[in-house]
Parts: sequence; C-alpha cells; structure tokens
Amino acid sequence: MSWHVEPEMLEAYAHTAIDDAHAYSIEAHLVSCGECRAQIATLGDQKELETLWTEINGAITVPTPGIIERGLLRLGVKDHVARLLAATPSLSVSWLGGLILALGFAVTAAHLSSRGFLMFVVLAPLLPLAGVAVAYGPRVDPTYEIGLAAPLSSFHLLLVRASAVLTTSGGLAFVASLALPQKDWAMVTWLIPSLGLTLASLALTSVISPLRAATGLAFVWVSGSALALYYAANTAATAEDLFGGIVQLVMVLVTVASVALLFGRRGSFERGVRH
Amino acid sequence: MMTETRTDRSLLLAVGEGDRSALHELYNRHAPWLMFRLRRRCSDTGMVEEVVQDTFIAVWRKADTYTGAGEVGAWMWGIAIRRLVDHLRRTRNLEPLREDRSATVVSAEDQVLVGVEFGDLAGAIDRLSPELRAVVQATLVDGLTMKEASQLLGIPTGTVKTRMMRARARLREELA
Amino acid sequence: MNSVRIEDAVKRFGSTRALDGVSLEASEGITGLLGPNGAGKTTLLKVLATVMSLDSGSIEIFGRDPSRHRHRLDIRRRLGYMPQEPGFHRSFTAFEFIDYVAILKEMTDRKARHAEVDRVIALTGLEKVAHKKIKALSGGMRRRVALSQALLGDPRLLILDEPTAGLDPEQRLRFREVMSRLGEERSILLSTHQTEDVAALCPRVIVMNHGKMLFEGTPKDLREVARGSVWFSEARAPEARLSWRTGEGVHRNIGTAPPGANLVDPSVEDGYLLLLGDEAFIEAAWRRSRQCAGRPWFTGRYR
Repeated sequence: MSWHVEPEMLEAYAHTAIDDAHAYSIEAHLVSCGECRAQIATLGDQKELETLWTEINGAITVPTPGIIERGLLRLGVKDHVARLLAATPSLSVSWLGGLILALGFAVTAAHLSSRGFLMFVVLAPLLPLAGVAVAYGPRVDPTYEIGLAAPLSSFHLLLVRASAVLTTSGGLAFVASLALPQKDWAMVTWLIPSLGLTLASLALTSVISPLRAATGLAFVWVSGSALALYYAANTAATAEDLFGGIVQLVMVLVTVASVALLFGRRGSFERGVRH
Repeated sequence: MMTETRTDRSLLLAVGEGDRSALHELYNRHAPWLMFRLRRRCSDTGMVEEVVQDTFIAVWRKADTYTGAGEVGAWMWGIAIRRLVDHLRRTRNLEPLREDRSATVVSAEDQVLVGVEFGDLAGAIDRLSPELRAVVQATLVDGLTMKEASQLLGIPTGTVKTRMMRARARLREELA
Repeated sequence: MNSVRIEDAVKRFGSTRALDGVSLEASEGITGLLGPNGAGKTTLLKVLATVMSLDSGSIEIFGRDPSRHRHRLDIRRRLGYMPQEPGFHRSFTAFEFIDYVAILKEMTDRKARHAEVDRVIALTGLEKVAHKKIKALSGGMRRRVALSQALLGDPRLLILDEPTAGLDPEQRLRFREVMSRLGEERSILLSTHQTEDVAALCPRVIVMNHGKMLFEGTPKDLREVARGSVWFSEARAPEARLSWRTGEGVHRNIGTAPPGANLVDPSVEDGYLLLLGDEAFIEAAWRRSRQCAGRPWFTGRYR
C-alpha cells in the first residue's frame, strides 16, 4: 500500500482530537497497514503496555504439573492416568516421606535385635493398607461425590489408585528390606501379608467405609502377630518359622478370598453414598 | 526500528502451537492501536486495559480458530470489540446476549463508505446526528451485528435498524 | 419427553424423612427449588444426580432407572452435577482440577479434553485465574470452578445445588446469563435460598419444606399466592405475621390484611414467605438482619 496516514493526523487520532469521520477512515486503514500500526505504536504509553503484557503473560502461563505427576509422566504413565493418581492423598510427597521414615526406623530396629526384624515384618504390610485406605472414598477424596456422578467407574478409579499405592509402598519396602541383616527369603516375608491385607481392605470397602475396613484389619493383623509371638515364646517353634509358614498360608487364602469378594461386589462401588 | 520479518499470519500460527514469544510480538504490533481504538469508544481506562488483556488471552487460546480469511488485525478487532460489548453490558445490567455470532454482511457499498476518504464523506458523516453516527460506527466501522450494536448502545435492535437505514439514506443524499 | 420423573420418593435418615413422598416431572428449561435449610432440596438433587438411592418410590432420568448399573452409566454420561459443598484437590490449579473431572467424565484424548476445559472456563469467565492454584482462589471463584466442571461435556441435565451461594452481585448476574443461555435446550434443576434468583431465572418453581413439595408453578403463580396479603402501614401492624420497616420508612406487612388496608403488589418472596410460614420468616429475618447489619429496622413477628 502506498498511501499512509499523515503523522500529525495519527497523533491527533491518538489524542482523540479528531472528528469521527476521519477517525473511521484511519481505523479502516490501520486494520490492514502494518507500517501505520508501527507508527502509532510509538505514541502508546510504553509503561502501561509493558504492565499489561506482564499480566497477560501471567494469565497464559501453563504451570508445569506437580512433582508426582511429572515423575509419573516420565515413567511412561498416560497423562490422564497420571492426573488421576496425582489426586491421590497417599501418593503425595509428604506421604511418601512418611513411608520412608517408618521403614527406616524398622530397618534400624532390625539391626538392633531379632525382635526388630519381626517388627519390620509386622509394620511393612500396614503401610500399603493405610495408603489404600486414604486413596479413595467418601471421606478422603474431596471430589468423591463429583466423581461418583461422573461416568468413569469408581471401581476402576479405586483399582488404579490402589495398585499405584501398592506398587510404591511395596517398592519402598523392598528397597528397605535389602538393607535388612537377613539376606535370605525371610527378607520378603512381608510381601504376601501386604497383598492380603490390602486386597482384604478393598473387598471390605464394598460393605463398610475404607477407613473402618483398614482400621479393623490393622487391629486383626497386629493382634494376630502378637498372638503368634506369644505362641512362639511358649513353644519350640520360632517366630520366624511361624511368619514364614502358617502366616504366609493364611495370607494367601485371604488374598484369594478377597479377590473373589472384590469382583463379586464391584457393583456396590458405583451405587453411591449411603448416608 | 525493528525489521518485521515474520508476517502476522505466521506469528498467529506459532501462537496456535503455544509459542509465547510469538504472542508477545503480536502484542507489540497490535496492542497499541487496539488500545487507541477502544479508547475512542470507552472513556474508562481501566475497562479498556481489561478488554485488551482479555483480547490477547483469547488470541492465545483461540489462535487455531483463525481461518485465514481476512486480515489478522480485523480478526483481533472482532474479538476486542465483542469483549468491550461484554464488559459494558455487564456494568449496565442488561438482558443477556443470546448466542448469535453471525457476522453482519457488510456490503461493498458500505465498505467504500468507511474505507476510503473521498468527496465530502467526512463532512457528510460529521453532519449526521450523534445517534445516527453511533449506529454507523457500531455496525459499519466496528463490524458488530445489529443485536450486538443494540447491546453496546443500549437501544432496541429495531431502533438500530431504523437508524441505520436513515443514516444510509442521509449519506447517499449528501454524496449524490 | 420428560428428562426427569420422580414418583412418591421417600428417603429416611434415621427417624427423619428427608424426602417424604415427593413426585415431580421436569423437562427442558430451568426449574428452581426453593426452601429453607433441611427442606430436602439437597437430598432430592443427590438422588437425581445418582449419588444417592431412594428408600422407596420410583425415579426415571431420560427414561432410565438409576438403580440399574447400565442405565445409571447412561444417565451419568449426560449429567452435570455441582454438589452443595464441592470438595477440591486444593493443590491443583483451576485448570488442572477441571481437567481432572473431565478425565472422570471419560475424556481421554488430551487435545479434545483441553479444548473442552478451555470452553467451560471461558463460559464461566475464569480465564484469568485458570492457572492459579485452587487454594489461592476466593470463595466466589471456587463456586465458578465447581460450576465449570458441571458444564463439561455439555450435559443434557444439569443438577446444581445452591450455585449462587457466595457469589457477589456481578458474578450472580453472570451466572444468570450463562444459565438462561443454557436452559433453552437443557434441563436444569437448581436449588437456592434466593427468591430473586428464581424470579429472574426459573420459568418453574418448586417450594419444598420438610421433605414435601408445597408449591409448583411459575414465579408469577408464587407471587399470586400472596396477592391480597401484603400491605403498607405507617406503624408496625400487630395483626401481620411479618412486618418490617422498608427503606422508605413505611412498614411492609404480610399476613391476613385488615379491612381497608393499603394493599400492594406482592413479590415472589412474599409468596414464598406466606407459603412457608414461621420457618421461612425466621430465616428471612436472619438474612435481612445480616444484609443490613447494624440497622435496627427489622421488627419481625411470627406466630
């Protein structure tokens, strides 16, 4: 385009000191002329323009996802699954920190005495149990009700979160068990009880609230372990043998029964709040 | 002065792909004139700033809806003036605006009226009553629909139509 | 076809009946539920949102029965629900949170999902705060985040529990604007304490109390309930059920008007107050006194 607005006229326009008819004409020209736009840009309040840009820049900032979500994405987890997991309270940084602390204490105890080792075996399965209890449910997930009214299956969500929790706490417990003084099969004695307790709590969740299920099971597990220790102290059998033998067998049975119950009652997870 | 190597279109394309610096460049090129133009239509500086802000956030989010038809500047103005209508309407407590984004078809004749300065068009527009001129500005210059113009000016759609007809007749009469 | 049909719905919590034989039908358009706290509005909306089941009675949504698994899923795919006290994952940004709900609504394709999230964010005017953490947002902004998630996927049925609570006047106006636009082709059921919301927004009003429906009709019908029962007087009228001094200095009275009273046109609120009796009077009195804190103008009397 060869025609351009006179500089004086642009200035008059910028100061709204021009009649409407000329203003319309200038405006029609500005829409399509880069040169005149650049010209009028020099008349703008640079400070104001800069402040405005800072605000726009802030508003369009897409924040990087939180540390947990980023980690999951790096592991190859699909982004929508990562988001579902990132909303899990028992996958937060503080929760994982707590886990590491608890396991650290138990490993230290195991180095101090053989009782300490048994403490590790009793404690390790309680960690995923607690994690699953606060992973999903009416009291723990703030968006439980919204989630329930959404089509994505609550059962599916529960399983996704429970397996993530089980994997992380199981993984951490495994790493911790490498540091145990025992260097034989005994160092994974906690594995099957972990699985059994967690699945049992999921199955019970179809009947009672997750927190109640977990508390009840934790109570049964701890008192059962105490009984086993008491029995071992009064007979020829050692506590290590009991935990390695009969306890494993019982927990395998619990696991199988829980899986059957869980899938048999899966519909109850979609039904809604009971209160 | 900076040499403008990239066209507005290619910048907008880059914005659609999430290029923040491209948006900044578009902002540097277009924010000033948009602001001056909005200021002629709204004396509230704070509101104008908000409208400019909203406009570029919308450009950021909607860059991929630009079809490539027409000037990028015209497209941006279309966003800006509608944001201004929204803001004015909200402060004025008016009835809700129904979803109606069908653009007004500006006839070639109308475009000539505002695009180029010739004859005594300037004088003719100037001699229109303020009411008629406001309608000419809203529909022909700013490209709003009758409905949007009625929201902007706070008058019924029917009135916008009749005023527009009267304005056209007057302009034709004067230029003939 | 009716989108929603409930017949003789009963829901008990212990010995109280939150729903005591409610029957209603709703099709396209906005239906407003009015009633004091504990009237059963929230329970009714929870049942309609398929998050709570009935003790007895029947319910159909889009001709489907929410107590059956497959039907329930069909309903949930066409439903948007905003609970009364929606919880948030507070460390998420508004965008991330809405995106999270979009995932719960089975939108797995990232690009399409983000476009949908952007759409509802624009609809509720949250663009500027979309990337702020929810814990940094004001109460009104959070209500809008909650509303946005309900609008995801353009549901045919919207269940909104007190969507205007805590909104400032401008936000309320914007909410009405969005709703009236949406209500044209969708069924919207919303509960509110504000008779002004209902008058401005809902072609149909239902007044509930103690788990029962007391009234069903247009806002105009509700106004007409109080026709002939609202009058002005110089001093507080002893025979009125509710009497208060207005801004103009005269007393506005609701109740059985004495002969020769200076009758005035009733408002929707007058109808509501007359219909509900004492409880609503107490609630209105409390609300009024809060609205005009420090001004001793309220002289409510209820019997």
